Amino acid sequence: MTGLAPFLHKEMRETLRTWRLWVLPGFLLFSAVSSPVVMYLTPTLLDRLGAAQQGFSITLPEPTALQSYIEYLGNLNELTLFALVIAYGGIVGGEVRSGTAGLTLSKPLARAAFVIGKWLSQALVVVVGAALATLICALLTRLLFDAGPAARLAPAVSLWVAYALMLLAVLVLLSVELRAPAAASGAGVGTYAALLVLAQFDVTSRVTPAGLPAAGLAVVQGESAHWVGPLIATVVVGAACLVVAVLRFRRREI
Amino acid sequence: MTMTLAHIAVTPTSPVLLAGLVTLCVVEVGLLAWALVDLYRRPSSQVSGGHKVPWLILCVLLQIVGPVIYLVAGRERPATTRAGRLHADVPVPRPVGRPDAAAAADRLFAASAGGADPGASVSPSPSGAAIELRDVRKAFKGAVALDGLTLSVPCGSVYGFLGPNGAGKTTTLRILAGLARADAGTVRVLGRDVGDGADVRSLVGYLPDVPAFYRWMTAPEYLRFAGSLFGLSGEGLEDRVATALTLAGLSTTRTRIGGFSRGMKQRLGVAQALIHGPRLLLLDEPTSALDPIGRRDVLDMVASLRGRTTVFFSTHILADVERVCDTVAILDRGRVVTESGIDALRRSRGGISRLSIEVDDPGRLREALAGAPWVRSTQAGEGGTLLVTCDDVDAAQRELPALVGRLGLALRRFAVDELDLEDVFVDLLDGDHP
Repeated sequence: MTGLAPFLHKEMRETLRTWRLWVLPGFLLFSAVSSPVVMYLTPTLLDRLGAAQQGFSITLPEPTALQSYIEYLGNLNELTLFALVIAYGGIVGGEVRSGTAGLTLSKPLARAAFVIGKWLSQALVVVVGAALATLICALLTRLLFDAGPAARLAPAVSLWVAYALMLLAVLVLLSVELRAPAAASGAGVGTYAALLVLAQFDVTSRVTPAGLPAAGLAVVQGESAHWVGPLIATVVVGAACLVVAVLRFRRREI
Repeated sequence: MTMTLAHIAVTPTSPVLLAGLVTLCVVEVGLLAWALVDLYRRPSSQVSGGHKVPWLILCVLLQIVGPVIYLVAGRERPATTRAGRLHADVPVPRPVGRPDAAAAADRLFAASAGGADPGASVSPSPSGAAIELRDVRKAFKGAVALDGLTLSVPCGSVYGFLGPNGAGKTTTLRILAGLARADAGTVRVLGRDVGDGADVRSLVGYLPDVPAFYRWMTAPEYLRFAGSLFGLSGEGLEDRVATALTLAGLSTTRTRIGGFSRGMKQRLGVAQALIHGPRLLLLDEPTSALDPIGRRDVLDMVASLRGRTTVFFSTHILADVERVCDTVAILDRGRVVTESGIDALRRSRGGISRLSIEVDDPGRLREALAGAPWVRSTQAGEGGTLLVTCDDVDAAQRELPALVGRLGLALRRFAVDELDLEDVFVDLLDGDHP
């Protein structure tokens, strides 16, 4: 793939110097900080609420580190994935529309390198961002509660990362097919919603990527989790999306 | 978090919580309103990513967080403001003069001959043509853009590709640059099929009609990026970047490209196309929409490349072709109407020339010329000048002064006015267009 290294370098610098740096890492950081803090403050707030209101009382069980981790994974599965879908709808199509892709691809940069470089750079953001966010979440949780099942958090987040990278590959494909970033984002939201629906059924949650977020939650709770099937499906779907995106982009006029 | 807010919400009479909730709502609504109004008023070009809809969705669906992210990271300062400040605070950067431009071009192309250039060992086609197009066809949704285009561009020439808007110039250049594909026909660049991909593109420099750069980069950063895609690195790349910046007159500019004027972008476009010392330079209307000074700057840069590389230069500005090109093809409705050297093209119009002669009695001379076989027409000019259009300029130059002598007239001025390219262009295309 001619030109992958310099293009990847450009993409990483673009991430560091533009709005891209703020969106996904921002959501990851927000989830990492807010989850343990909210879990920690909730009983206190409700206690004060009860004290202020005679005859009104809500008693919650004492929050634990595990609840903090579950809240964190919940935020990753909802808020952060949604941000990812919205932010990366124009990952390829945006450059084509703005004309920057034309000037770049008139140079000896392979079309495959362009597509893979786009995915790889943002995959790196997801991986590094998720690692740092998880570390922050674990440290804050330890500070506010106790260490809890911290060892189970890493594999659970790894499953989330695999799911996010697959979703990113889907967005790359949608962005190659649909020139308008808004259309690609819309189709991405549709895909995300379809996966949520599939996750509701036992069969589909075991053999499609849809089951991976729930598997992550099960892993962190120490429950038996059916994660192998969904993980394999996630890798296959992600790889297939990238291959199709490359093949389609090769034939596309810029 | 959702659960927490829901539980708090059931106690509206708690003064502290009520105040907190009201504050939160005010902040939330205020931020959302601020973000939405800003997004509505702001042109797409000043929104990060260039599109408003994703930001709108983000602001509406992710309350507080979405508007904050948009307000912090989604807005870009207007390019005109930056450019305006640039123009107000510092002298507008101009390219170097022609001798320095030529020296800079020399350095770029001398370096490429050293072997680091991936295209150094490549020869043009056996015919000696840098570009060969044979019966190339291209249509867009039924509209024919190229209709059997056949063209041959000699190596080392500055070749003007002339035609009215919509003639197919940009389509041809995009096919040559590998960004579009011909529906039929053969397209060869420097002896290779253009479908060979990166190998061919490593020999070519391309400037589109409206070059789009990464707005967050500076000119040196973009040139480094472009050079690295051509496999350049280290000191060699840095030398080339410095030379190309000198050539483009952007050595002292530290502004991001988003704040560049159109002329600066165009010159950067030429510089990025030259960074690797290409064997073929494709320029798509490089002077369109430039002011006269910007146009002169770009033409000077192109002129400085004569003899160093093959330049294929599309334009609809006739004066530009006359100024820098030595060969020209005129394109109309996707077909080449004519192709030749500029001088030959002028002569080819049936050897027609226009003479202007000033005598003391132009009326007598006009009568005497009525029967001359080489005269096509005569026309009275200003101040006793007679304009004579003739088929054979040699015969006219021989016989006209002799005729003036025989008539006993005083010859005050005698000149051959060459037909300019505009006359030829209009002559060729006139009548074809409704």
